[in-house]
Order: sequence, then structure tokens, then C-alpha cells
Amino acid sequence: MNDDAQSIQNSVKDYLLKTFLPGEDPDSLTPDTPLISGGILDSISTVKLVTFLEEQYKVEFQAHEISSDTLETLTDIAKTIQLKSAARA
Amino acid sequence: MDFSLTEDQRQLRDRMAKFAQLELNSGAIERDRDQVFPHDLWKRCGEMGLQGLPVPPEYGGEGLDPLSTAIALEGFGYGCRDAGLLFAVCAHLLACVVPISLHGSGAVKKKYLPGLCNGTLIAVNGMTEETSGSDAFHMASRAAADGDGYRISGVKTLATNAPIANLAVIYAVTDEKKGAHGGITGFVVETNTPGLRQGQRFDKLGFRTAQMGRLDFKDVVVPKENVLGGAGGGSTIFTQSMEWERICIAACHVGAMQHLMERAIEYARTRTAQGSPIGKYQAVSHKIADMKIRLETARLLVYHAASRIGKARDNAMNASMVKVYASECLQKTAMDTIQIFGGHGILTENELERALRDSIGSSIYSGTNEVQRNIIASWLGL
Repeated sequence: MNDDAQSIQNSVKDYLLKTFLPGEDPDSLTPDTPLISGGILDSISTVKLVTFLEEQYKVEFQAHEISSDTLETLTDIAKTIQLKSAARA
Repeated sequence: MDFSLTEDQRQLRDRMAKFAQLELNSGAIERDRDQVFPHDLWKRCGEMGLQGLPVPPEYGGEGLDPLSTAIALEGFGYGCRDAGLLFAVCAHLLACVVPISLHGSGAVKKKYLPGLCNGTLIAVNGMTEETSGSDAFHMASRAAADGDGYRISGVKTLATNAPIANLAVIYAVTDEKKGAHGGITGFVVETNTPGLRQGQRFDKLGFRTAQMGRLDFKDVVVPKENVLGGAGGGSTIFTQSMEWERICIAACHVGAMQHLMERAIEYARTRTAQGSPIGKYQAVSHKIADMKIRLETARLLVYHAASRIGKARDNAMNASMVKVYASECLQKTAMDTIQIFGGHGILTENELERALRDSIGSSIYSGTNEVQRNIIASWLGL
């Protein structure tokens, strides 16, 4: 994992803990914790996360890209942001 | 912050209001009684550009921005007393034409949008099912890849325009494991496709000229190009279409409230009791003052939310706020207008009892107001 991916994971993890998991032990949210299938993100919180990602990383999600393929874990999210950022560059 | 409309927007609202007043209202009482859909008036609405307000001109639309679209519909809501026709146009435009225009393939847009805009075609949005309503994403309809397309099965109900539509925009689960985001796909389906059956019109309380019914899909095959926005994009596309619908139908409510308030004022100035116009009594005048407060606050919410369509995903919360507020304001205004008219208010010929009946569904369709409050709370982190 390169630094950028780590940095994205850290930033998104902070956002998730603050927004959806207040009071939760930070160690319980690992890079592979299932966010959507695990029930941490429901349909509206998924859209809130996408809003955060679009604003933070200046990327855009198409309708079909908002799914567990791209957002299921912190690892998936970091990969998605890196791919989108690379495509934009 | 400038709250004034442009001259073009003012003219647009007036043009739509005048068109509706002159051409759409004759026979509305009888059509409501008989629950008849006015196909000829639908066509006239198409000629006026109503069914394609925000669609790019190259596909036959008027190319309006979302705020101007809402303002046009406010004028339509002000002038049109056939709430069923108005609701049919809104369901067609906001839940079908808009998602096709924003997410349809080039071939689909070219094939269907001109007819959808000019009133040749009628579209139905199929989302609600017997076991899923406001919790729309818990649907039972399924679509599976089949050769070069998809095979769809399921039953949609309470679908406006279902018995008379030529085209359906429907949603089905394409990947059960993925759930709402990524697991639901939107499709455009011609209603004469083998396996698709359109149900009979439901009898109902209000907007009775709108034809509401079921759509039964049994192994209905659609080509891949009829997928809206890519497989798995259905929930996002549906949510976006509901943002349009909740805001723009609320714009119609604003127009309807303006009309009701003007009728209440006219009656309160001319009807006398104990030697004075009833509007001189505070029991009446305060009701009308409250109508004005509801009207202007709802209008501001509608304009603000409409101006944010397509600019921010969290406008979904604004749409829910507008939907709740405008619908409850409309119901209260309709009820108070009847109260001011007294016995005359409940006579069919005065068209106020119909306005009240037409208003009741507004806190239910497009997602109940209870669910809208859930959405608002969820956006607030609750």
C-alpha cells in the first residue's frame, strides 16, 4: 500500500468514525471492515459518504458507481479514489 | 441574495397559468366524477412544452433549468383545476422523462424523448410494490441478464399512468448481494412488450382523472441499451428523480395555494354576515393571513431547493423538507378555504371539495411525509 492510499484510508476512517460511529473504538474499524453489507452505511449514509469523497478528492461518482464494488471497505474506497484521481490527471 | 424572478421566468409562469385556465378546466367536474383521462388535453400540454420542460431542445424539450421548470409548474398548478391531469404530467415528466433525459443511452433518448415531450407518448414510473412502498428499495421485482439484454419479472402497483402508458420506467433488483446501492437497476420498457400487462384503473379519492394502476411483468425481455445509467445505478437514479418530483410537485402546490387564497380573499370581501364582509372578522382574516404565510414560505423553500437540483447530493434533504411542508400547507389551505366558504365550500360546483380531495394524496405520494421526516433526520445524523 502506498502513502496516498494510506492517507485516503485514514481520512475516510476519521470521517466514518465521526459521522456514523460516534463513540466507537477506532481499532474496530479496520481496512477490511464491511461498511455496506455490515450495516454501517445505509442508503442515505452511503450518499453522504459519496458527497464527502467528491468534495474532499474532487472526483465524481456516476450513478452505477455508487455500490459495494467501490465502497464496501476502506481498502476499496482508497482504490476507487486513486483510480478516479489517476483518470482525472 | 436576489429573490426576484427574471422577466422570462415571470412570463413563463404567467403563460402556463393562462394556458391552463383557458384550455384545461372546462369539464373538470365531470371528468373528476367519471375518472376520465383527457387525452386531447394531454396532447395540448405537449404542444405547450409541459412534458419536456427541462429536456434539451435537440430531443424536443424546452431546455429549461430546474428552477425555471419549477416556476413553469407553479403556473400550471395555479391555472389547472384538473389535478389528475396535472399529476399525470408531473409523474410522466419528473419520474420518467427526467431520468431518461439524464441517464438514457443515446439510442433511447433519440427514440423516445421527442414523443415523450410532445404529448404523443405517455410514460409510467413503476417503483411501488405490494410489499414495498416508501421503503422502495426492498422490492421483489427481479431482472437477470439474458443474452444481449435483461429479463424482468415482478409487479408494480399504484403507478400513475399505468393503464394508459406507452412506456415504463421501472426498477428491479439485478444483484441481491449488493442491496440498494449497486444492486438495483432502472429500465425503460415499451408497454407493448410481450409479458407486460397493464392493469385496470384504480378508483381513488382525489386527482381522479389520473389513471393509476398495476404493471405485471412476466419474463419481459428488454435490450441492454434500455438500461438507465448502467447496471446497478437504479437507486441513485430513482433518488434523483424523486428529488425532481418532490420539489416540482411542490411547485404545483404553491400555485394551487395561490389560487385557493385568491378565492378565499374574493369570497371574504364579498360575502357579508351581520352587515359586514366576513373578511372583516378576524376569525376569517387570520385564516387568510396564515394562508399567505404558508404560501410565501413554501414558495421560498421550493425555489431554493429547485435552484440546487443537480448541484449537491444533499439537496435530497431539501426535497424532503419541501415535500413535507408544501403538502401539509396545501392540505391546510384547502381545508381553511372550505371553512371560509361555509356551506358553499362543500358543494361540488364550487370546486373546493375537489381541491381538498386532490390535496389529501400529497402527503402520501412521492414517499409519505413520515418517510420524508426519516430522510431529513438521517441527513442530520440521527
